Amino acid sequence: MNRLGIILAVLSIVALAVMGLSLGLGSVALSLGDLWAVVTGGGEPLQRTLILELRLPRTLAAFATGGLLAVAGALMQVLLRNPLADPYVLGISGGAAVGALLSMLAGLATALVSGAAFAGALLSTLLVFGLAHGTGSWTPVRLLLTGVVVAAGWGALISFILAVSPGAQLPGMLYWLMGDLSHASHPGPALIVLLVVVLMAWPLGRSLNVLARGSLQAAALGVSVRPLEWTVYLLAAALTASAVTLAGTVGFVGLIVPHMLRLVLGNDQRIILPASALAGGILLTLADTLARTVIAPQQLPVGVITAMLGVPVFLYLLHRSR
Amino acid sequence: MPAVRPVTAPPALPPWVAAWAMLCLLALPAGVLGEIRVTDDAGRDIRLAGPAQRVVSLSPHLTEILFHVGAGAQVVGTVSFSDFPEAAARIPVVGSAGQLDLERILALEPDLVVAWQSGNPARQVTRLEQLGLTVYYSEPRRLADLADTLEQLATLTGLPESGAARAEALRQGVLELTRQYAHRPSVPLFYQIWDRPLMTINDEHIIGELIGLCGGHNLFGELPALVPRLGRESVLAADPEVIVGGGSGEDNRAWVEDWRRWQGLTAVQRDNLFFIPPSLIQRQTPRILEGAALLCEQLELARQRRPESGQ
Repeated sequence: MNRLGIILAVLSIVALAVMGLSLGLGSVALSLGDLWAVVTGGGEPLQRTLILELRLPRTLAAFATGGLLAVAGALMQVLLRNPLADPYVLGISGGAAVGALLSMLAGLATALVSGAAFAGALLSTLLVFGLAHGTGSWTPVRLLLTGVVVAAGWGALISFILAVSPGAQLPGMLYWLMGDLSHASHPGPALIVLLVVVLMAWPLGRSLNVLARGSLQAAALGVSVRPLEWTVYLLAAALTASAVTLAGTVGFVGLIVPHMLRLVLGNDQRIILPASALAGGILLTLADTLARTVIAPQQLPVGVITAMLGVPVFLYLLHRSR
Repeated sequence: MPAVRPVTAPPALPPWVAAWAMLCLLALPAGVLGEIRVTDDAGRDIRLAGPAQRVVSLSPHLTEILFHVGAGAQVVGTVSFSDFPEAAARIPVVGSAGQLDLERILALEPDLVVAWQSGNPARQVTRLEQLGLTVYYSEPRRLADLADTLEQLATLTGLPESGAARAEALRQGVLELTRQYAHRPSVPLFYQIWDRPLMTINDEHIIGELIGLCGGHNLFGELPALVPRLGRESVLAADPEVIVGGGSGEDNRAWVEDWRRWQGLTAVQRDNLFFIPPSLIQRQTPRILEGAALLCEQLELARQRRPESGQ
């Protein structure tokens, strides 16, 4: 417990530092003094607008999205007993993408695009849940295969929508698919979902540790496996749906953050879950700061940076684990 | 930050005094000093207390139009690819048309933002409005809209007379081409706007209008999409008399030359493979008149190459 406290304290300090960096850096240069003046309630109107209305919501949205995806990834990896599982592997992001792209094609307003993304994620979750439930015996492999096939179906629909959409719509759609935080202006609900789900999943940590060793062992040790697995599935789905609704399909955070933490901290879900929330947030906040500034005034979608950081790190981890 | 200001005020005179003086000078000939009102292409009322002195343009074609009406010095921010005229390339860039850097736009403190309705991300432009900026939406679909856009942007920047003159020149130019070519024998053609995937335009597109005024007949003009994607087979089946194309560069004829692989095509047999520099025809700017003139001449050449014209 003491170890957990230290880990979380360190990660929290790093998180605050990264958020400060994200608020201070942008395509318009502001000094630390300006930042401090705005944070303490002063500053010029322009600086207040830049920091409070543009950078702050975006920083919080990046942190929330990263945290949501990392925790969802950690849960999926335990649920499916598969190190390559990520929040999107069961098709939730595909459903959300189809919802979002269809509403963009119809020219709907911003809020409705987010709503359609959430509806798509929900639909996909229920579809996979219903199909994997089936009649016969149930295994993680069955859930994984159902999810992967449903995801492939969504992928085909996404390609179809992209093929028939007018050229003017394509950049917006591609940015959504690559993950983009430039529109995220209301991070509040996502932060609440993150907090609530982490608090709900934490007590399950001990059971999850047993589950990670296989369902037979877990059952033998008195864990009621099936209810636990469905709870984990629904929690991960809620996290993923919130994340893609806020920022589109940001890649790799959900895959690599839990793995990095397991390598450093060991595979104890009671530590991994809350630590993932903070470490995922840190990584994505940092990536988004780079996305905004690295070739400013051109803006990159954050997914580009996370994948560019994520691919080599993941390959390294994979190589090392051999 | 190298902000472009039209007047460099001496230290004793604050910049706003200079701006005010200039505003008076500009407004005096019109006889009215006060509110400017126009209706933009989104149908919204745009009101300014005086001529816009710090304009951010969110599309290359709008930058070009602003320079064309003489408001180039008032443009303080553009997006990438704003390369015409040369002076436009020296203005600070605030992102690309498809992804804007809102911070830089705010930091320039513009009094007018001219946005491209179908090209800029709607969410980002809405955000700019929420943050208190005045946004003019432009969406010229036809040549007549383009002339209106010239007038409106000139009015907003305090140059209504220049705008009226430029718009009149554009309308006259279109009228002359129409008078000269629209009644000529129809030329069935295929316009290639992109190569892979192969794309054309329909009659609703502004290029479709140019084809009409040159007396051409767009073989794919009836298709429902504004920019339809085609298979090569359908072009071969339609057997156009003329193939006109842009290219991925200002002097890249590779796309149209590629059709020579099919010697059976009428357009290939008569050597009617024509190239028009994309910046002359694919940007909604007054330079489109040059592109139109080129297209009309090419179609006229195709008519001369007909066997029955008895060369």
